[in-house]
Amino acid sequence: MGLAYNFDWGVLWRQPYGTWLLQGIWLTLKIGFLGWIIALFTGIVIGTLRVTPWRWLRFLAAAYTEVFRNIPFLVQLFFWYYAGPMIFGQYLGRQINQITGLNFYVAIFALGLYTASRVAEHMRAGFASIGRDQYQAVLSTGMTHAQMYRHVIIPYALRIIIPPLTTEFLTIFKNSSIAMTIGVAEITFMSYRIDADTFHGLEATTGAMAIYLLLGLTVVKLMNMLEARFKIPGLIGR
Amino acid sequence: MKKKWLVMGLSLVWLLGLAASSALADETMDKIEKSGVIKLGFREGSIPFAFVDPKVGKHVGFSVDMAGLLAENLGKRFGKEIKIEPFTVTPKTRIPMVMNGTIDIEMGSTTYTQKREEQTDFSLIFFFSETTFLVAKDSGVKTLQDLSGKRVGAARGTTNLKAIEDLAAKGEFKPKEIIVTETHPQGMLALKSGKIEAYSTDRSLLEGLRMKDQEPDKWMTCPFAIAYEPYAYILREGNSDFRDFVNNTILWAIKTGKFFELYEKWMGPKGLVPIPMSKAYKDYLEMIVYPIEDEWWKK
Repeated sequence: MGLAYNFDWGVLWRQPYGTWLLQGIWLTLKIGFLGWIIALFTGIVIGTLRVTPWRWLRFLAAAYTEVFRNIPFLVQLFFWYYAGPMIFGQYLGRQINQITGLNFYVAIFALGLYTASRVAEHMRAGFASIGRDQYQAVLSTGMTHAQMYRHVIIPYALRIIIPPLTTEFLTIFKNSSIAMTIGVAEITFMSYRIDADTFHGLEATTGAMAIYLLLGLTVVKLMNMLEARFKIPGLIGR
Repeated sequence: MKKKWLVMGLSLVWLLGLAASSALADETMDKIEKSGVIKLGFREGSIPFAFVDPKVGKHVGFSVDMAGLLAENLGKRFGKEIKIEPFTVTPKTRIPMVMNGTIDIEMGSTTYTQKREEQTDFSLIFFFSETTFLVAKDSGVKTLQDLSGKRVGAARGTTNLKAIEDLAAKGEFKPKEIIVTETHPQGMLALKSGKIEAYSTDRSLLEGLRMKDQEPDKWMTCPFAIAYEPYAYILREGNSDFRDFVNNTILWAIKTGKFFELYEKWMGPKGLVPIPMSKAYKDYLEMIVYPIEDEWWKK
């Protein structure tokens, strides 16, 4: 019997498959970067709200974090894509459903909001690692709470949490593959599409693996450069 | 006297050897005879061909009944009961599972294509489905061109999606967007929520989706087809005895009328998914039956 399988690596560059993969890479990059911008911005805001002196804001931020980080991303994505538009009522929901490229926007938005909950937790850890004296020192210069966070504490915390943020930045590219389930034609989608067309799924999947690995290594390299530039001597790094 | 016995003994050994070597000609047939079990791959939601009936928790459908006939005939060949061991397959796993020997045959609603034929073997074609669209009854869609400027959907990895993409690439119609869903029920959801205006797969499956909807009368399948899809069963390459046996099972069912009975049961007017049998299809079935004798299953 045996596995009668003939390897044909040509499916990775032969037309139209090569173009499919390139289009997939482009979409993955777009989803990853745009999602990351949303995640970083929202994550910083939510993370900061979790340590503010105002109880209600703390509660809201905690609720956000727990909702988004405790529901599997796949489920969230399905919810936003299929049920999300219905939140806006019958008429508006229908209008939203007719937006061209809706699945792409939903993927970015869902991935950004999900990753934000994780970034927020890292922010909280960053704030916690800054000593009480630091906060008091800043306030004693006459800065308001908002000024303190904006000019001192947030930049300081961000520099501390660069290593875990690297992981989150990597994860956002990997999680973007789940967008396939709502029909976003990113790398994984395209490798499955090549499989459906040629039955050379092993080659297509191996190709996708190599692309993700390369992408990941590039991100790590970039973040390491950032880390070298911004690390706080004596706190992270030696 | 002694010599005579020797000659007889030798001939007996030779005869036995001949019988054994011919029995070894086909691994699959051999395995089924030895184990008394045929491993069958069925789909979970390919209504009405092979799907799991939630009431009994078992695979049922037209192709599942055909599998019953196959096991019955195999039983007659080997003179003992041949049991069916069912496995659930998906579009993604059905071909690898046949190739690696997990299942001996997949009996569902697989479209026979040349690319698939390169990887595995197929039985005779037993059904033709048309790729078409499910649309709202009041949408007024009569031709493919009526779908230009509209959003259409199909499931990932299906031949239906490929047919739409090819037609759009050739410019035969210009859909506003092609939305890819993961499953057929999701396609139905996309259709109902207004994400798409037409959902495409095989007519038989679309009729199945329509019948399952709360308002079946709100939807209709289009009166045209964009592709014809021949269905066949998937077998492992290089087991021609087994393939002949499967083919003869199909032909014998057509000849004895059992095939039409099963068709009536699942796709007749009172069946689960009524699909009128076209004259061309009926003619095809009757014309492929070659002279086949009773007790063909005997060696």
